[in-house]
Amino acid sequence: MGWCSVRRGELAQRTAMALVTPLRVGHEDMAKKLSAKKVARVSEPIFTGYKPLVATYDEYFAEAGKVRPQASTVVQHLEGLGRDEIRGRMRVAHASFLEGGITFSVYSDARGGERVFPFDPLPRVIDPAEWRFLDRGLKQRVEALNSFLGDIYSKQQILRDKKVPAAIVLGSPVYRREVQGIRPRNGNYIYVAGIDLVRDQHGTYRVLEDNVRVPSGVSYVLENRIVMKKTFPRLFDRHNVVPVEEYPNRLRRAVTSAIAGGGTNLVVLTPGVFNSAYFEHSFLARRMGCDLVEGRDLVVIKKRVYAKTTRGLQPVDSIYRRIDDDFLDPQLFRKDSMLGVPGLVEAYARGNVVLANGIGNGVADDKAIYPFVPDIIRYYLNEEPILEQVPTYICERKAERKHTVENIDKLVVKAVNEAGGYGMLVGPKANKQQRAEFVRKVNANPRNYIAQPLVELSACPTWTPRGPAPRRLDLRPFVLRGNDTWVLPGGLTRVALVRGSYVVNSSQGGGSKDTWVLENTKS
Amino acid sequence: MISRVAESAFWLARYLERVEDLARILYVNVNFVLDVNLDGVPRWWPLVLAVGAEKEFRANTTRANRDDGETVQQFLCWDREHPGSIASSLDRARENARTIRETISLEMWETLNGLLLWFNSAEGRRLYQRERYEFYQYLRDQCVLFQGFALETMLQSEGYHFMRLGTSLERAAQIARILDVKYHALGPTGRSIEWPREIAQWQAILRSCSAIEPYFKVAQGELSGQRVAEFLLFEKEFPHSVTRALDQAQKFLNLVRPRGKAVKNERSVTALNDLRDQLDAMSMDEMMRRGLHKTLLWIIASVEDVCSAVQQDYFLAPPQVRRHRTAPWRKLTRTA
Repeated sequence: MGWCSVRRGELAQRTAMALVTPLRVGHEDMAKKLSAKKVARVSEPIFTGYKPLVATYDEYFAEAGKVRPQASTVVQHLEGLGRDEIRGRMRVAHASFLEGGITFSVYSDARGGERVFPFDPLPRVIDPAEWRFLDRGLKQRVEALNSFLGDIYSKQQILRDKKVPAAIVLGSPVYRREVQGIRPRNGNYIYVAGIDLVRDQHGTYRVLEDNVRVPSGVSYVLENRIVMKKTFPRLFDRHNVVPVEEYPNRLRRAVTSAIAGGGTNLVVLTPGVFNSAYFEHSFLARRMGCDLVEGRDLVVIKKRVYAKTTRGLQPVDSIYRRIDDDFLDPQLFRKDSMLGVPGLVEAYARGNVVLANGIGNGVADDKAIYPFVPDIIRYYLNEEPILEQVPTYICERKAERKHTVENIDKLVVKAVNEAGGYGMLVGPKANKQQRAEFVRKVNANPRNYIAQPLVELSACPTWTPRGPAPRRLDLRPFVLRGNDTWVLPGGLTRVALVRGSYVVNSSQGGGSKDTWVLENTKS
Repeated sequence: MISRVAESAFWLARYLERVEDLARILYVNVNFVLDVNLDGVPRWWPLVLAVGAEKEFRANTTRANRDDGETVQQFLCWDREHPGSIASSLDRARENARTIRETISLEMWETLNGLLLWFNSAEGRRLYQRERYEFYQYLRDQCVLFQGFALETMLQSEGYHFMRLGTSLERAAQIARILDVKYHALGPTGRSIEWPREIAQWQAILRSCSAIEPYFKVAQGELSGQRVAEFLLFEKEFPHSVTRALDQAQKFLNLVRPRGKAVKNERSVTALNDLRDQLDAMSMDEMMRRGLHKTLLWIIASVEDVCSAVQQDYFLAPPQVRRHRTAPWRKLTRTA
């Protein structure tokens, strides 16, 4: 007797009942849609009219009609599905994000609304050799940045050796004098890094910026993968994609690496449910199996951190914090912060609690420090940098400022401590008035700006109402540093859904794609 | 468990219990209105009184249409200005769930999130307009589905226990409120022979508590106000009786109580035990003499007292923290 056993004489009755059981509310529509879809399958070709952008690297096509080897199966499979089928599955994908509450909040939205981060079903595909190269380059870069932080907050040897101008480092608004001389456990400042990469017109990967404070987006990598598998199972099955699911486990291991015995008193610290990345904070707490706390849930007594629980105070020894330095501790930083925990920095300084990431990390990913990162790598690791980056003009330097102002129509100007695509001018796309405004801003506060030539970001076929069209994208791989360093295979691919746009941020009309790193086919 | 999280779990359950109860009451009342065709008997207004929303309702409507079915249903279902409406309770339940998404299971979250999306969609509104029964039934079914998922998929630890504590306490008060509908509709209940419309009202009340068939099994056919009240107050084997709900509350309160150490914060346990003891000591005769309405009000108020005691004991900061003052910032102590 196994699964199919039933009580004597009941089999016939049950089957009959099942046949007449009416569909539940809401399911009828679905049934109608499904049957309608089968009838109306049109096999209009999908990629035939696809034209890659001029002077831009295309992730799928070497030229019109010529598919790159790593994308060939995807293209072939999608052709086989047909447009209507793809549209139908995109609706399913959208619904599953919405029903799962996989959303982000938009601050400018007065209703405090939650939105689904638009998901594009055409995956970005990275071949194994390419990924091995990136993996090495990312580890090298993050290692050097961590050494840099360790040095800046102790002896400042690199400044004495004049490899990086002291004025730029110590004058940075995100340099935290308050933690000068404090060495975090294991000397680890960077537990989690998100390094933004772009590809230029030749397909060369270049680092666009570093994020070593509170990089976000990893939950979308994991959720995109789940939805991709759910909606395009056979397409997924035809590839050997390196899994991403171990990230939360790796994160937990990294964050508790400085605690003897691994540590069980880990919490994720969130600014709260109104934060745009709240979904991610909750997601990571869930997958790491730890509590998600707000500042008001923690208290510092005698330089030790405790959580307020239903059974009294419980000690906390490591905090994966998703709150910026500014708001972390109202005693030390912003006094008006309601999000932080008074006394937290002192507990950290005493070595009583691990903060991941460390305090003051901003000085390593300041956009004004970025031009010096290749030198930083050479200085600490005695190696040549593996990854290229984008040439950068530092407006604080007179000659470079002059160059920026004179060539503003060719450059991208960025405020050094803004993120999310805010405080930025894309010169070639801007009008006269916008350019003039930025010239004024740069002259008024040169330390606050850098300029870079516009990189023709690579493009990838992306689904639009009229079928696939080239849209520009970037890539944010996530690097974890604990007892060893690990790079999440792939990362978050963000795509500018607006035609011709170079801005991929979710707050400004960006979407995302699943990112596939292919496994070496076994020979 | 983090106190704030426990509080959210507790409230999430209370809000959902309200949604379920209200959906059931409205479902039954749509039908009841068809059954009892007597002029001069208010049939919708008593529901507003029973849920204690008289003031909000008066602010929104005129006296002339206060017994109008559509107005009352619109108010109890959709009015977001009114904190006791289904819409408000669903919003709050979902917001609490979102805040503690790491504590509840994926299935629970998807059920609740899906329910709110549906409720706010054109599809939900359409069903409300066309098939009122089905609308209420779907709401109720989804609430029960959520409870089922809680039982089947959630870690049966503190979070679950606080949810069940919230459900039980809310339910005890709601049953008392439903019983009190009779008073608001037809006046006090005596022990004399009742009018047919009173009998019909008692039936509607039983149905509002999903109790009609269990009742007849126990009462063996007899139907009177006193018996109905006795059943809904004291029937230990019926899930929607006050005593049973309080039993459950005691069970889950016991499970969340700190073990091992000498317990100092026991206000909630004391308050709940007191309520149970007093209720147990009360005979049905005595209650009818005192007035059923009065007793029900006392139950509602006592349950609220237990809820605030739970808040005191578990959700507010522990006393060590309240005593502790963080020293003003002087100088950062450095590690060697």
